[in-house]
Parts: sequence; C-alpha cells; structure tokens
Amino acid sequence: MRPPNVSINGQARWRPASWPSSGLMRRRMIWGYVFIAIPILWLLVFSLGPILFSGWVSLHRWDMITPVAQMPYTGLENYDYIFTRDNVFPKALGNTFLFAIGGVTTNVILGLAFALLLNTKIRGRTLWRVLYFLPVITAPLALGVIFAFMFNRNYGVINNLLVALNLPRQGFLNDPNQAMFVLIAIAVYQYVGYYIVIYLAGLQDIPQDYYDAARVDGASYWQELWYITLPLLRPVMLFIIVTNTIGALQVFDLVFATTGGAPANSTMTVVLYMYNTAFKYSRMGRASAMAFVLFGIILLITIVQLRLFRDRTTA
Amino acid sequence: MLSKRPVAVLLILAVLLAGLAPGVMAQEPIKLTVLTHWGEERLLVAQQAMIDEYVAAHPNVSIELQTVPFEELLTRIVTSRTAGTSPDIYHIYNLWLPEFTNGGLLAPMPEDLAAWVSENAAATSVVGVTYNDQLWGVPTEVNTYLLLYNKRLLAEAGYSEPPKTFEELVEIASAITKKDETGATTQTGFAAITGWDSGVVHPFMALLFSNGGEYFNEDFTEVAFGNQAGLEVFQLYQDLLDSGGMDTSISGWDFPNGTVGMIIMANWWRATLRASENIDYETEVGVAPIPVGPSGTESSTLAYNWLWSVDANSPNQEAAWDFVKWMNMPRGEGEPSPMGNFLVNELGAIPSLLPDQAAFAEDLGDHFLAPFVASTAYARQEPVIGGSQEIKSLLQVEIESLFTGMTDPQSLIDYVVPEANAILEEFRAGAGG
Repeated sequence: MRPPNVSINGQARWRPASWPSSGLMRRRMIWGYVFIAIPILWLLVFSLGPILFSGWVSLHRWDMITPVAQMPYTGLENYDYIFTRDNVFPKALGNTFLFAIGGVTTNVILGLAFALLLNTKIRGRTLWRVLYFLPVITAPLALGVIFAFMFNRNYGVINNLLVALNLPRQGFLNDPNQAMFVLIAIAVYQYVGYYIVIYLAGLQDIPQDYYDAARVDGASYWQELWYITLPLLRPVMLFIIVTNTIGALQVFDLVFATTGGAPANSTMTVVLYMYNTAFKYSRMGRASAMAFVLFGIILLITIVQLRLFRDRTTA
Repeated sequence: MLSKRPVAVLLILAVLLAGLAPGVMAQEPIKLTVLTHWGEERLLVAQQAMIDEYVAAHPNVSIELQTVPFEELLTRIVTSRTAGTSPDIYHIYNLWLPEFTNGGLLAPMPEDLAAWVSENAAATSVVGVTYNDQLWGVPTEVNTYLLLYNKRLLAEAGYSEPPKTFEELVEIASAITKKDETGATTQTGFAAITGWDSGVVHPFMALLFSNGGEYFNEDFTEVAFGNQAGLEVFQLYQDLLDSGGMDTSISGWDFPNGTVGMIIMANWWRATLRASENIDYETEVGVAPIPVGPSGTESSTLAYNWLWSVDANSPNQEAAWDFVKWMNMPRGEGEPSPMGNFLVNELGAIPSLLPDQAAFAEDLGDHFLAPFVASTAYARQEPVIGGSQEIKSLLQVEIESLFTGMTDPQSLIDYVVPEANAILEEFRAGAGG
C-alpha cells in the first residue's frame, strides 16, 4: 500500500503511513521518539561503544598506560597467540565449559525437581520457597568465603561429616581434581532458587484442565509429567538453559573469591584469566581478544540452543 | 586628562602587585591526590595526621588520600590512568616500574631529590627503585624474607635450633607435622602461602639465592633457575611433601594460629604476629636466616621495595614532589622523617632511608626485626624487568602444581623455563602489553 501524501505549501511530500494527522498526536509521537532516543543513545555510548572499542583494542598491543592513539597495531596477532601459543587459555576454556555444562545441567534438573515439589500442597510451602531463594540474594563473594571454610580439609564441616560416616577426608578446593566440582556445587546452591521460581511460574501457567482430562483417561503421575508438564515447560526450560549458560560461561566472582583459579589453574576460567591478563599483566589487547572469542562462543551456543528448542517446539 | 598624582599611585600599585606576584602565585590553591594501599583504619588515621601536618604548613595545598587494598592497587592505577583520573602521587611496588616507566606513567624525579636518595637510602633500596639507570621515586619500606619458626613447636619436636640447611629443614619439618586420629592435619612443619604470587614465588627466590642460584641471567635475557640450583629448590619442596613435613591443607597464613612450624615470610608480617593471641610474639616467634642448599655456601635472601612516585600527567608535579620530599626528610638532626615514623611505629616495617634506620635503631633492634634489618645488607633485590610479573604468576601456578602433585621438579623446569624465556623475549622485542 502506498504511503499517503500530504501537500505543504502546494508541494506533495511523502509521510509515513502511521504519521498522525492531528497536531497533538504528532507532538506525542515526537516525544515518544525523544524518550526512545535516550535509552538508544545510552546503549550506543555505554554498551556498543565499549564493545567496538574492545574489538579495536584486540587488534592492538596496549598496556592501558600508553595513550590510545599510540597503541601499536598488531592485526590478528593477539588471536593467533591465544589459539596457538597460550597454554592457559585452552585450559581456562575447558574449565569454563565444564563449569557451564555441570552447572546448567544440575540447575535444570534440580530446579525442576524442587519446583515440582513446591508446586504441590506441601506444608510450609511459602517458607520453603523463601529458603530456596535466599542464596540468590546472597553476595557470591560472601558465599565463596563461607564455602571455602566449609570445604576445608582439616576443620571444614563437610569433611567432618565424611569422617563421621567413616569416609576419608577430601582435599576439595585444594585438590585439582575436585576443586571445579566444588565450585559447581556452590554455584548450583546459589542459583537453583532463582530457577525454581522461574519453573514455578511456568508450572502455574499450565491449565489444570489438561491434568484433569489426563486423569479421566487414567494417566499416571509420570505420564502427566512426560506428556503434559515437560512439553509445556519447554519455553521456560529454554529461557533457563540460555540465560544460565550465558551466565555460567562468564563466571568470575565466585572463582575469584574462592580459589583465584588455583590450584594449578584447575579452576581458572576464561573471564578470570581475561582479568589477570588485562590488569595483572597489562595486556589489554590480548584480554580484549579473549573477550571477543568468548563473545563468539556464547553467541554460537545461544543460537544453537535456540534453534534446537525452536525445532523441537515446532516439530 | 588624568592628574599626575593618581597616575603615580597607580604606578606604585602596579609595581607592588608585580613584586607580590610570585607570592600570589604561590598561594594559588593546589589539590593533590595520594594513592596508597594502607587502608586499615589505624593506618588511615596515621596517614591523615601526616597530611594534616603538611597542609597546616602549606595552606594553599589540599591533599586527598585514596586507599585501595593491595590486590586492587595495580588495577586502580592503570584504570585511573585510562579514565584520566590519575592521582598525583602513588605508593607503588617496585616490580611495576618497567611497565610504568615504559608506558610513561611516572614523572622523572627532581635531580636534587634523586641525589639525596642515592646518598641516604640503603644500597639495596637504591637498586630497588632504579630502572634503566634512573631513580623513579623515594624508597619507603624495604622487605626481606627470612625463616620464621615457632619455637614451641620446634621444642616439642625435640629441636632447640632452627634448620641451617635444606636437609635439616626437611628433617625438622617432618618431625613437627601432626595428624589426629581422623586423619586431619593439626599442625604442619612447613607451610607456604598459596593463591598469591608473592606468597609462593618470593620464598622460592629466597631459597634459590641461598642455594647459590640466580633468577635471571646477567643480561636479563633468560631465566637462570633451570639449572641444578633451581632443581634442588624444587626438589626441596618435593622432599618436604614426600616426608610429610609440608601439608598444603594448612596454609602459611595459619602460622599466627600456632599450627605451622616454619614458614619463609617477610618482615611486614610483624604487626599481625604481635596481635596474634595464639602465638606469643616475644617468646614463641623466632627468626632465622634462610637455610642453605647443597649448592649454596652462605645464606642469602630476597628484598623488594616500595616507593613514592609522581604521575607524569600531574599538573602539580612540583608540589607533589615537595610533599614526597617533606614526608621523607628527617625533621632534624638525628630525628626520623614523618614517613619513617609511620613505617616503624604504625606499620612495623623497615624504612629504606638510613637516617630513619639510625633514628629507630632501638625499635629496629627487637628480636624479630633485627635479623631482617641485618639481612638488608646481603639481600638481593627482586629483579625489576619487563615481564617479571607475568613470569612470577607462571611460576606460582607451576609451584602450586608441584604442591598438589600435578607435576614434578624436572617437568616443572622443562615447562616453565621456555615459557618464561618467551615472555622475556616478547618484552625485549617491545611486544609487552
């Protein structure tokens, strides 16, 4: 459909189809654009700007002390280094994937299990919900310190419990083979409450009629779960998996507070290594390249996740 | 037309104003910002008292004190530089000098002050604040590493003297370590501070120097601990672990709790040890030279320095250096400087400046500090070259790998040496950053 034309001073001018005819509506529309412009400008200056700058820095060598105009251009050297010569980056990437896969899988399963439980008419349901949500509002740094004490080999409560059960003491955060799994456990403890709330919202959106109809047909609890609950929770699961994966791949504060990447880089994650590279070794160019690589990985994984779920939903 | 009298009055006024101009200029308000890592309440009060005293004598100057924890100091300096909000005066760790000076962050020191420091600072501290044959600031605290031992734990294990050799260190450490019936380690003979590069690498360097080894070669083009002397130090750690003399589940930070027999640590820990309720500073804390290794002939150790320096972008460099100078100059003949007073009485540190060391001879002669002060005569400065920090972190991770059984002494050397040399090569080629 052609846009309507208006004549101003005898000259025909194009105007958008949605352009309001009254002065009041036009003023409102202009103000609408003004209000939209503010967040867009904010986004450009404080989000897109730094991203583009970071991309530019990743093609240079920069110690953050030398003026920006004097950064030596190095092309793709930083990317070449982290992929071919850096021994820590692949390890950090592997650790990050382990953390993400372990954390997301546990959160998805455990969150669903607790949500199903809390969606029933158990006694003290509200209290349980509050208790599960409390760790979410606790600072990760504080949690990290508390858990470091709890997992201490000699006086930690977890090891004392193992001894009481006639099991040997474990190194946990001191043991390179166990430290990352302890971090996953801490992260799950902290965030599972948040995912329970999301799952609960999804569960309460499922009409009761479906369950009533299934029961009339003689469906068991597990059949209801498999054929009604899980398929209808798919969008919620997609949200949880995507947001949790993105967050897990960017984990920093928990690792920084508990292990700092030790022992022997067994808990070194990409963002922590990026931080060390930038602020400890003053290699901002290389750290920016890592940031872009991580960005690419997160983007790719998110696209794959969205496609997988969309395909299944539409199938 | 103006009469002659007003013109004459105006001329006189103009001359008077011109004559006063330098004075007026001198009274222009100047604001200085000072960044340190001394953030404890007690230390803040002492620093502010120094500032207040200076400001009272210089009414046109106001000084804002900023403090951040040590772990955040480097980040703060670098980010504030990027943001254009750099402080005028920094208190920095000398290992950062290569990056700071190569990047043009630090202002050159006034020649007269540099000459005064050269004459009045301990020789090791002059080396510590020098980079590329130039002094970059006034040295403040000098720290060395020695063997701290718990006299009570040693006595309970049947030893009255601290170890003098690597062999004795392993023997005494394994005699001290105890476990309870559940397998929990209740005390360890020797401990290290892990998760912190200096906590791991500084003791290693002290042991290396005491074993006749070198950290870098003479022209700083390669690391030099990949030889027999270095291997023996890594083997010492392995022997301590194998003999049970070192249990990494107890941290070196637990020494003040009375559960660690021996640790290699710096003198700045004095205030913590004095405040500890679990170990008696006067009767239980012993200090001894670093044990000598099989390839060494005499005990040696590592020293590192802190210094006051001024930002090259500061619009008030002259005033900034004046404040630094005032803080560090003796108040009078035989008297300490304000900074010396702060370092000794508030921080429990060893001042680098000889007039302060002389003024506090009695305080620095206590059973804990005296061996550290004596060690400044033979201690070797942590080498200040580009890439040092990165090599330090690399070495830290690998020594921690040794502690956790993920590598062995020879594999550690085989991995670290080429990696460290590559970092040095990169910085030499101007490719740091």
